[in-house]
Amino acid sequence: MKRLLSIVSLPAACAAAVIAAQPARGQWWTPSDGRPLPAYVEYANSSGRLGIVNANGTVETKGHPFFEALGTNGRACVSCHQPGDGMSLAISSVMKRWHDTKGTDPIFAPIDGANCPNLPSADPASHSLLLERGLFRIPITWPPVDAQGHPITPEFTLEVVRDPTGCNADPVYGIAGKRHEVSIYRRPRPAANLRYVASSRFGVTPFIGKTGALAAVDPETGKPVNMNMMADAREATLKTQAQSAAHGHLETARAFSPKELDAIRDFELQLYAAQAWSNGAGALNEPGGPSGLGPQAMAQGSDGVLGNNTTRFVIPMEDKWAHLPEARDAAERERNAFRESVQRGHDVFFFRTFWISDAMHINTVGLGNPIKRTCSTCHGMHMTGMDTANGWMDLGTTNHPWALEPAESPWAKKLPELPLFKITCRADLPPHPFLGRTIYTQDPGRALISGKCEDVGAIVIQQFRGLAARAPYFSNGSAGTLREVVDFYDRRFNIRYTEQEKVDLVNFLSVL
Amino acid sequence: MTQKSFRPIALLALTLGPALVVAGPKPGERLSFVSCPIVRDTRSVPCWLSEYAGELYYLTIQSDVSAEVQPPMLGHQVLVEGVVSDAPRICGGVVLSSVRLSVMPERDANCNTMLPADDRYKVDFNPRPPGPSGGRLAFAPDPSAAKTPPPKYEGPQTIDIYFDFDKGVSFRHPADLVSVLERARSIGAKRGTVTGVRGAHRLSDGTLLQESSGIAQRRADEVAHLLEGAGLSVPLAIRAADGESEADGIDDWRSRRVTVVLEP
Repeated sequence: MKRLLSIVSLPAACAAAVIAAQPARGQWWTPSDGRPLPAYVEYANSSGRLGIVNANGTVETKGHPFFEALGTNGRACVSCHQPGDGMSLAISSVMKRWHDTKGTDPIFAPIDGANCPNLPSADPASHSLLLERGLFRIPITWPPVDAQGHPITPEFTLEVVRDPTGCNADPVYGIAGKRHEVSIYRRPRPAANLRYVASSRFGVTPFIGKTGALAAVDPETGKPVNMNMMADAREATLKTQAQSAAHGHLETARAFSPKELDAIRDFELQLYAAQAWSNGAGALNEPGGPSGLGPQAMAQGSDGVLGNNTTRFVIPMEDKWAHLPEARDAAERERNAFRESVQRGHDVFFFRTFWISDAMHINTVGLGNPIKRTCSTCHGMHMTGMDTANGWMDLGTTNHPWALEPAESPWAKKLPELPLFKITCRADLPPHPFLGRTIYTQDPGRALISGKCEDVGAIVIQQFRGLAARAPYFSNGSAGTLREVVDFYDRRFNIRYTEQEKVDLVNFLSVL
Repeated sequence: MTQKSFRPIALLALTLGPALVVAGPKPGERLSFVSCPIVRDTRSVPCWLSEYAGELYYLTIQSDVSAEVQPPMLGHQVLVEGVVSDAPRICGGVVLSSVRLSVMPERDANCNTMLPADDRYKVDFNPRPPGPSGGRLAFAPDPSAAKTPPPKYEGPQTIDIYFDFDKGVSFRHPADLVSVLERARSIGAKRGTVTGVRGAHRLSDGTLLQESSGIAQRRADEVAHLLEGAGLSVPLAIRAADGESEADGIDDWRSRRVTVVLEP
């Protein structure tokens, strides 16, 4: 079991300091828990400790709409956005909650905590995607409608090729069912560092920079937004997301009030999460250390900045761990070796070139296919490693042939767990530039919202912070560890990392 | 040409034939062809080439989104338009000036040539290394240069928006569309016309290459929809036209367009 190691209130939560551990109560936040969330708190994970900063000070959670069980199913926002899990939900927490509550925790609510709502709730097999991959069911109306509710004519037809959950062929929940929904399965995205994620300071115009299509607009202001929040960019703002989640995930009997929406947005915009302590590298927020590490750095950093350059950097480290002084003892020697590995991992991330090829919305935006660049070409947002604006791309995580699938054979012990869809693009329109007119995908991604063939499998790039606290990775939970993330890219782009490069990259990712 | 004058010229051509092949394309000659792109790696950024009629042509280098000429895509043929220049070869290819590239939409698995770095070919003028930039886009204006005031628009406005072959609105167009909105606001537009044109190309081998039928209407509809969606609230007449008569082998890329006319 993870432990909450320290609760320290800081007058200014941004103060960079090494935080002393203190005994604490449990790590899991149940809805209506009532505890205050301190201005600064650390939670243990397998790589060290994650730090949470509330820049506006301690948050009184009693009566706060993010923390109260407002849903008819007993959930609150915090149910699936746990502070100890980097404001997402680690699979280790999911499994423990199943064990501790015998499957009665609200996170297992049938609406989306089961593979399909019509399955027997007490049976763990009904929740296999949540228990084994940390995935919630996301029902998307099909065919799509725009923000004003007008139908969108899709550029493709969608067939269900494989339906292991039974939900996509269900007479109620299936595509041809009463609700006309496609069920896809995704990880909850972290509800921290959202000042960066929702920033509109870079590249936001009335038109989407990568496609020229209309950008989503904030319904309150009428201004375009960066569309970088959800995996498929289907919600424009933190408020519309919260309202949608209230109806969908929480099954609230009423809509959130304007005051409740303001409270949720305000909380999320002042909340920061990043690894604060590394078992290998020690303190990540110590004075004089790399300026891009630690949760305090997140609270202090600038949003809406492109970091794929040598003036701002994605994760600034200033080479501080490149050449460390002579160690005084074995422990320091070991720590320094890990720190040097982290620095090398940073350099691999930032400077190691490889050929990025056939990736929709990166090789199609005037850079050429292939392009000789680095990880930070796509993961370029200063401090988060997201894309800076309109950041959906198809890196192959959900589309055939790159998406991870169990090998099918008469001897296979594991069968595919996710649905498989066949997308057939219209013959009178240009095909998908890399996948043609017939595409197989586990999750059509942005295309379920836009109806565009070119968007099939395109997923908004996720932030890099707090990774150690919230495995598994990718929107479909297909990488169980950071090493599997690195291995995926190595295979996908034929990078041919050395073993040392892989180790260094994993160590770098583990301290973010 | 008369029969009488033909003979000496034919004889001359036969005599000089091998020399003419060696001489290759003539500076100033306009070329328009469809071919596979080739990417050649170098110690810095890769360069992009294409072969036509037995000659290798240099198209561009990899830089970033600010480049006027952006690299094509392997897996697709590319429509190349340009003028043969007398500049020294780059990456082994004859340099084309005023080059315009358009990636052909259909997949072509034969377009897969990647050449390894070769010390004979160096790109020493790359404004953007293959990794992170130095802090600004490769072709961004000098930040220390005096900023020009925004243009003041008066009277009817005509804006041409150009497209890739057989393609609709893409990453190239947000700036064009924003420009239309700004001009409409500036002149207090009361009405407008959006005319989509089906492009046509007279290739160097004489072939007429036309975009698919219906593309003109689709482009016009799409541009009008986007402008209206972004807040342009003037009545827009939508028209479609055929650009075949414009295909003469000179800047035929201009026929792949939508023309927006705004009237105060």
